[in-house]
This record gives sequence, C-alpha cells and structure tokens, in this order.
Amino acid sequence: MSETFLDSTELVLNMGPQHPSTHGVLRVIVKLDGEKVTGTECVIGYLHRGVEKIAENRTYAMFAPYVDRMDYVAAVSNGLGYCLAVEKLISCDVPERAQTVRVILTELNRIASHLIWLGTHALDIGALTPLFYCMREREDILNIFEKYCGARLTTHAFRIGGLQYETYDGFEAECLDFCDKLMPRVDEYEELLTENRIWKDRLIDVGILNAEDCKAYGVTGPMLRSAGVKWDIRKALPYSGYEKYDFEIPTRTNGDCYDRYMVRVQEMRQSARIVRQGVEKLAAGPIMAKVAKVLKPPVGEAYVSVEAPKGELGYYIVSDGSTQPYRVRVRPPSFVNLQSVDKMARGSLVADLVAVIGTIDIVLGEVDR
Amino acid sequence: MPEEANPGGATEPQKPEETSAPTGGGEAASPPAESKPAAPKPPAAVPAKPAAAAPAKPAAAAAPKAPAVMQAVAWEGELVEELKEEFGDRIKEFRTYVGQEFLVAEPGAVIPIIEFLKLEQGFDYLVDVTAVDYPARPERFEVVWILYSFERNHRIRIKTSIKDGEKVRSCTGVHLTADWLEREVYDMFGIEFEGHPNMTRILMPEGWGSFPLRKDKAITDMDNRWVRENIGIESGQ
Amino acid sequence: MKRFLRTILLADLFEGLWLTLRLQHPKNITTEQYPAVLPKVGERYRGLPRLNMNPETGDTLCISCDLCALACPEHLIVVGWERNPETKRKDLVTFTYDTSRCMFCGLCEDACPTDALELTQDYQMASYTREGQIFDRKVLEEGTKPTKYKW
Repeated sequence: MSETFLDSTELVLNMGPQHPSTHGVLRVIVKLDGEKVTGTECVIGYLHRGVEKIAENRTYAMFAPYVDRMDYVAAVSNGLGYCLAVEKLISCDVPERAQTVRVILTELNRIASHLIWLGTHALDIGALTPLFYCMREREDILNIFEKYCGARLTTHAFRIGGLQYETYDGFEAECLDFCDKLMPRVDEYEELLTENRIWKDRLIDVGILNAEDCKAYGVTGPMLRSAGVKWDIRKALPYSGYEKYDFEIPTRTNGDCYDRYMVRVQEMRQSARIVRQGVEKLAAGPIMAKVAKVLKPPVGEAYVSVEAPKGELGYYIVSDGSTQPYRVRVRPPSFVNLQSVDKMARGSLVADLVAVIGTIDIVLGEVDR
Repeated sequence: MPEEANPGGATEPQKPEETSAPTGGGEAASPPAESKPAAPKPPAAVPAKPAAAAPAKPAAAAAPKAPAVMQAVAWEGELVEELKEEFGDRIKEFRTYVGQEFLVAEPGAVIPIIEFLKLEQGFDYLVDVTAVDYPARPERFEVVWILYSFERNHRIRIKTSIKDGEKVRSCTGVHLTADWLEREVYDMFGIEFEGHPNMTRILMPEGWGSFPLRKDKAITDMDNRWVRENIGIESGQ
Repeated sequence: MKRFLRTILLADLFEGLWLTLRLQHPKNITTEQYPAVLPKVGERYRGLPRLNMNPETGDTLCISCDLCALACPEHLIVVGWERNPETKRKDLVTFTYDTSRCMFCGLCEDACPTDALELTQDYQMASYTREGQIFDRKVLEEGTKPTKYKW
C-alpha cells in the first residue's frame, strides 16, 4: 500500500518513569512497528538532585556523604573516587594500610554491585530465583560494611587522607569467610543460568555493541570488556595500590548481553581474589595522613577516575583556594553508557529492549545526579 | 613549619589568600574561635614574628591583591611539538598540573585539534565535556574536553574560554559520545554547541527558564514560574 | 549424541531446578522474622542521635563547642548555650537536632570532642508528625519512647 505521512502501523509507546524493568526512573519513548523497535529516545532527569551545585556550597569534607548517594548501589566506589581526586589536589599520600583497606572494601562493593545487577537483570529476563540468592550474598557484604563504618548502603567509608575508622576485630576473618562462601555460590548462579537454554536464547546476539562502537560512544566498564577491549583503569592507570595485586581482566569477544553476563560473573571471582590478597597484605600502620582540619587545596584542578563497577567514574574538581570546591564535575559511567541504548536496541523486539537496558547496568542516581 | 618557605616573605599564617604554597596551607586559618588563643600557631615562626610583623604588614597588604593562580608548569614532549607544528598560534599554552597535562586553545581551533588528535595521534576516546563558570572574567565560561588514548595510555585536557552567548562547534561529528555530554553542558550553563543534532535540555524539564550551574544562580533559586504552571504549587524554596 | 539427549531431556533446565529444590531445606532458610526478632546491628551503626551524660554526676557531657553544628552538611543542629558567670564556661541550654533532614553521615559524631553526641544503634525512627522528628534536648538525652506492641 502507498506510504502516507501518517504511517498507521507505527506506534509510539512510553515505557514510563514508573516501570518495573527500567531500574529506576528512566523514561524510554519507543517507536514500534508491531513488536519491533524502530527507534528509542531516553528521557532522564527525574532523579536530578543538583549534586554538582550542592558541592559548590559545602566544604570538601562535608561533601563526601553526598557523593555516596549518586550511585547508591555501589557507594564505596564513589567515595573512593572523590577522596582520590581531592587527595590529588592537595598532593597527599595515603598510608599503606589505608590503601589496602580501601581496596578490600572497594572490591567487596564491586561484588555487591554485580550481585544486584545479576539479580535484577535475571528478574527482567524472567528468572525469579537468582534475585533472592544474590540478595542473600549481598547481606553478608552489607553486614561487613555495617560493622566497619556504621551504614550498609550510603557508607561514607573513606575520608580525605585515609580512613576514619580502624578495622574492627574479626574484619579479616569475616572477609576471608565471605570469599570462601562466595565461590561455590557463584558456581551456583552459573549452574542456574549459564547453560540454561532460555537464558541463552534471550541473551545471545542481543544488544551487540562492537569494540569500535564502544569507543565511539565512550562506553567503559564491563560493556567495553565484553566487546574484546582488554582495558581496566585498575591496570591502565592504577590507583590506591592496585598495581600490587594480581588479578585478571575477563574479556569476551562478541559484545552481546550474554558476554556481559559472563564478564561480570568472572569479575566477581576476580574481586574475591583481590580481597583475599588484600587481607593477606594487611599490615599494621597509620590509617590517616596528615591533612589540615580546614582543608584549603591550592588553586588548581584535577581529574581522577576510578573503575566503578559500572565503568569509568571520574571526578573533575576545580579549586579556587577556599574551603569550598569551585566546581565538582562527576563523569558518570551510567550516563555515558546509556546513550548506546538506541544503537543496541534498534531492530530488535521490545523484550530485547528490556534486556539491553538491564545489561548496561544503570543506576539512575548516577545518570541524573 | 611549611610557612617558613612562603615566598611572600611574610610569616603570617593568618592570610588565607596566600595559597601559592603547593601543599595545602590550611592548618593556618582554622575556623574562628573555638578554644584557640589569639596568638598564631606555629611556634617556630614566633621568634621572627615580632620583628617581621611590623614591616611585613605593608608588604602583605600589597602582595595578596593579585589573585592566586594555578601553579602549573610547562608541558614538553613530542605530542606538544606535533601540535605546535600543526596548529601554531591557535594553541595558547601547554601546561601541566599535578601530573595532568592540558592545553589552552582558541575556541575556533578546538574541534580541529580534537580531530587531529583522533585521526593521527590515537586519542579515540572522549572522556568528558564540561564547563566551569568564572563570572568575573570577560570570557566567562571555560569549556573543558578530556580525551584519552588507549594505545598511549595518556589522558589530556583541552580548555578554551568563551563569552556568554558565544557558541562552540559540537564534537558529535568526531566522537559520538559528545551527544548527551554537550546537552548537559547546555542544560546546566546555557552554552550552545553548533551542529549538535538535538540541542535540548536533558536533565532539567523542558521549558525551565534558567541555567542552574551558573554562579549567579544561588542554590535555592528555582524557576518558580515553571513550578507554579506545571505542578500547581508554590515552590518550597 | 550426548548433546542431543541433553537437549531432548531438558537437562540444563532440570539442573537449575534441582538447585532450587535443594535449597528448600529448612537449614538454608535465611528469612529474618522481623519484628518478632529484631536484627542486631553493628556497634558503629549510625542510627538515632543521643546526647550522653556523665554517669557519675548526671550532667551533660556537651561543652557547647558548636563543632557538631559546624560539621553538619545540612546545618540542622542548633546549640543554645549561655555563659556561666562562676565557672566562666559555657552551659548547654537547648540542643535541637532535626532528624527529618539528617542523612546520618556521622560527621557530627566524628567532630564531637567529648563523645557527648553519639549516633546510637536505634533504627526504629518512625513518627506520625514532622514535628515529632525534630529532637530537642530532652528527647536526645532520654531517648525516644516507641510504642510497645503486645503482639
């Protein structure tokens, strides 16, 4: 039939801000031809809290609790990035013991973030059981965080210059215990999902983003590694003593959702390996460097990035010599990764769109700040 | 003790403007009162203090009037030479601070520099595009691009200063990732990027009247008209 | 051949199902029976605030130094004091802490030099009114009085 400008087979549908599969308040406007997606547009900003503006009105130490609330699932990484950026501005060396504890907590936090990702992604696809098992593991990690710094989720674990709290009695034993418990559990998740024909049918060849596109779109983290680029900030531009740890960077070649699942599961295993090495390395020593009580970094700017569980989390801090930062820019990995949804989902079905949004591992707190 | 090396010559720790010391000189200006005595803190400076206090005061009154600037040093290297050769005067300076290199260029030259770096020098990943507002300067906004090269494992920044209302060319033709990053800069600062496929607000709602991250907007400044029209309540701020 | 049999007989699906069934054993149950059993939180937990008193004399430990108010990112602590003419020290009069805006970051607890202000392990902080969440000195010293339910 002839084409009119009103193509009556095309439907514009709103996957609205309140939706069980969009991982937060993300609105996706989808143009559909039947069940096939012909175009998407993401509308964000529903969780925008003006964190960058708040930073200009708080002192450096006061701003640290706000940073946890951006990527609330993996709050420890956010805190680490911010503390590293300010320490770079004041050219402060963090003592060895503080660096080791930071690494241990950051890796535990990575495992926790990937567990949530696995549980919710499986839930989106339709598998209900992995969610409960992942939450059960995560309880143990959150208990360790709670005993260490007093809060489970918005931890505020690190301070500028080192750590506030000494590790509690039994910290090492609990971390090792957890790693020992985790390994068979990760095998259990793989038993449930990796060979499962439904899982494979839903995820293989869905949402393919090859290495060139990843670099063009600025996508980092497990998405980049699933496309074959063996790049991890912990190895390329190491921080906080990561060069002393022995771990691998899992990569896959296809760049589809199944590969990202495999990469993240392997990353959980590597993180457990790092935690074990960290606990062995833990030696006595000071935990806080000598930092002024009223912190006034010299005029200047610095950009520091860390490998958050979701990608490259960067902090660009501009200081004008006063107690409050002049500008704090947070480069959120989820924000930049989310741009690639359109590329990945075009031409596939709505169910694949759900899988694609899940596989990017977005946290809207970070996308919107 | 660090105050002894202060180039201003005055051993007066109370002057907060003299932040030209490369390490944080924050111990000096502690918050008012608590239980600190009125005398300045470092005991080592005390012998010099009574003598230096009187003649140092007029000197100190004249010295800190110049605003403190970033103590960046020049950046040398092969990449610098190649960029100088290609762009000559259009790059104003090559500096480095705390080990991070950046260059300051003219606004019109930035996109050709980014293209050159991508095609010939291997800087294939645009990490971030952002801006900083300096309302006191005539060129109010400083737009910053951060680039990274996978092969060289090297990260550099490109900065340029533009006036309010001036437009910069968009980077989306060179790096696709600049799409949302530039939209956010527009949303927060009002800087428009020419050639961007969809220059609209991304985080603030459509129709919002102001640019929140500009320094003349206080933190509690809301667009009350928008709130009243769209939500129907009086803004709580 | 083995692959064919595995595919026909749904072997991969049954392996996953066997795992789920195995975990139905009562020893694997991890559900916490709240509120019958209240979970024990860590010692450093950042819960509701409390103003500590000297156990021998019964006086407050707070010296009205205002460091907690300066440290708070949300500026929600207001310390009221007056100068004691005999001892020349500050005496605490009122202490207002707004838990509705508090984010329990612990900066006030870290700043207090005398361990007077402490974030306790109390996490049950529901209230029926907004005003009920603004703690004055009395509530901070004596603690909240939550309703005790009989079942």
